[in-house]
Amino acid sequence: MYAASDANALFAGKYFLIIDDFQGMRSMMREMLKTFGVKNIDTVTNGNEAIACLEKNKYDVVLCDFNLGVGKNGQQILEEAKHRDLIGLSTAWIIVTAEKTADMVFGAAEHMPDDYILKPVNEATMSSRLEKVINKKALLVDIEKALRAKKYALAVALCDEVLASSSSNTTELQRIKTSTLMTMGQYDQAKQMFEQILSKRDIPWAKTGLGKVAFYKNDIERARQLFREVINQNPAYLEAHDWLAKCHELSGELEEAQRVLVRSTELSPHSVLRQKSLGELAHKRGDTDTAEKAFRKTIKLGEFSVHKSPVAYLGLAKICSTRNNPAEALQILKNVHKEFENPETALHAKVIEGMVYRESGDHQSAAKISKEVAELVRADDNVSNAKVMLEAAQLLLATGNKEAAENLAKNVVKNNHENDQLLAQVNELYSQAGFQDKGQELVNKSRQEVIETNNRGVILAKEGKLDEAIKLLSDAHTLLPNNKRIQINLANMAVLSMRQNGRSDHLMQLARECLECVAKLDQQEEWCAKMHAALDAIPE
Amino acid sequence: MIDDNKQEATPDISAFLASAIHDMKNSISILIKFLSSSITELEPEAQRHAAPMLYEAQRVNDNLIQMLAIYKVGNQFYPFDLTENSVDEFVQGIVEQNKNLLEYLGVELETDFDEGLTWYFDRELVSGVISHALSNASRYTKGKLKLSAKEEEGELVIRVEDNGSGFPASVIEAGDAVRKGVNFSSGGTGLGLYFSSMVAKLHKNRGKTGAMFLENGGTYGGGCFILHLP
Repeated sequence: MYAASDANALFAGKYFLIIDDFQGMRSMMREMLKTFGVKNIDTVTNGNEAIACLEKNKYDVVLCDFNLGVGKNGQQILEEAKHRDLIGLSTAWIIVTAEKTADMVFGAAEHMPDDYILKPVNEATMSSRLEKVINKKALLVDIEKALRAKKYALAVALCDEVLASSSSNTTELQRIKTSTLMTMGQYDQAKQMFEQILSKRDIPWAKTGLGKVAFYKNDIERARQLFREVINQNPAYLEAHDWLAKCHELSGELEEAQRVLVRSTELSPHSVLRQKSLGELAHKRGDTDTAEKAFRKTIKLGEFSVHKSPVAYLGLAKICSTRNNPAEALQILKNVHKEFENPETALHAKVIEGMVYRESGDHQSAAKISKEVAELVRADDNVSNAKVMLEAAQLLLATGNKEAAENLAKNVVKNNHENDQLLAQVNELYSQAGFQDKGQELVNKSRQEVIETNNRGVILAKEGKLDEAIKLLSDAHTLLPNNKRIQINLANMAVLSMRQNGRSDHLMQLARECLECVAKLDQQEEWCAKMHAALDAIPE
Repeated sequence: MIDDNKQEATPDISAFLASAIHDMKNSISILIKFLSSSITELEPEAQRHAAPMLYEAQRVNDNLIQMLAIYKVGNQFYPFDLTENSVDEFVQGIVEQNKNLLEYLGVELETDFDEGLTWYFDRELVSGVISHALSNASRYTKGKLKLSAKEEEGELVIRVEDNGSGFPASVIEAGDAVRKGVNFSSGGTGLGLYFSSMVAKLHKNRGKTGAMFLENGGTYGGGCFILHLP
């Protein structure tokens, strides 16, 4: 038969990975694939083996059972593989499952499998789905390369090319294109595309995308309305729930935000990230019962997940402490040191440990920890998380370690000199400790220092002394790696210099680093889109 | 006191039902697979005799799938998955799934669809509806079935037609009642009709809602099941 040999040729050179905990199922699938003409097949029985294989080899198709017994489930393996960049757009991930659930289908919007095949698996279905998915993925190879090289404009152009030439796989290409536009900060272009899709048909992901554009453009009211519309038409569409909760939280409607999150955790009971969000929000609201439950679930669900996060451990430790259970709080903090190696997390755990001792009245231990925290902070004053630094400053102040507290507070102010909310928190911290004037003076003085440096740089640049300006701000940037304004100016100067003197690898890298850092600090920063475009426009 | 006891005695049965249905569905799937492969080995005459077994097992399976879906939609738990599907592949898939049964029953199935057409719908649900309509029609047909899927006035219209003696008036009435959301309960046909109508109504697009119709006549002058998806 012509059709069969055609398909055989398609399958012959491809690499397959089968993940299933049942021996019978593995051999059944292997035999089935062999009859299709597949030659290269690896089989594994669990998540850890799968990850080990994915680290070593590149696969074209992964057939993954959802329920794998103890350890990671199929979705968690996919999340880890995507998160760690073990697979790209051109690898097809197919989940084999007895039943589709909301958790599976809408669980992780950015980590969706390419297809689901329902058990019992039938040969005809399997072969036609595989053929379809392999052909689809072949179109994405170049786009994946462009995205890996962070050549976003090129990726968008490639999407347009494929969209124009082929009518299959339109949806996936539209999704890749719009999400790339969003990464670039080209919200208007993304919006235009979403609207164009929606003019023909109501599609939940496109409407959710439109909502995200409104969110990033700070039109929270419109965003909220769009996410609600998606949920009304499609009650189990989880991504819209996530965003609606964010909108409520941003507008200060915490109770409403919590209601939405509770609903979304009901719909996706296995989602680590949603339990974590629920825990954080409930904790913020002072609903410690809900927070405690959610944090405990987050820890349990996250055991094998790449989304395992210290936030739940630290939050739970704080709650235990306020509930007069310092023993459990300290035990949890001990586990944090075991489970996470990140220095920022270690510092945060130490700070909370100090607070636990203080709250339990063990002032001697609190003072000892406070000293250790002061040491840690001195050794590494580039901790990027302002929240952790503020908590550390609070502990240092409360335990009489004034000098260390002051250095830390200055650091926070200088790194965030335009963030009024944080500056207010620094002031508040000092007022609470009874040093209101001291706080005000510290904030004003530190802020002024940064502004002056910045202005000097701008003046130098205006005078045409670009090299000097870049040197000045680079030094400032090294001292204050998280100051948004300095990074923006620095990247702008780098572009200006390259426009005048031609492309330079060093300046290109500097500008890209600043850009990535600013995007991380502030997703709503509109400057990022302009910088992406400016960097793309610099000739090779 | 008495109220407390009463609450203890009547647990929420719906959650048990859902998981029991799920379990039964797995068992039935295995049974169907076993029956299919056993029947394949038989002589054609014996196949025709054995086919009703497969048909009945298939019916139980359909009913369970429908109940589970209705339960989940009712609780807003159903992951309604609106994706772009190739109509061509969808029709082929349905034919593939039902090929064996129709062959054993000696029923001839003709297909007719717009080549290259794609449409947005929940593949699992719509395939459940059409498979059910097809297996239902296979019981009442006099040997001929037609499955067609075409774009008509901005909607995808899927028809299952047979050359039997058509739906009795009571079934057509029940179909109308379910579509209008008036009352549903008419013995054996109730569940399938309700499910089909629910699936149709879940499909919405720009102010238009899907619908299900039962008619007599059509290509072969028999029963005609029609699904409109906007």
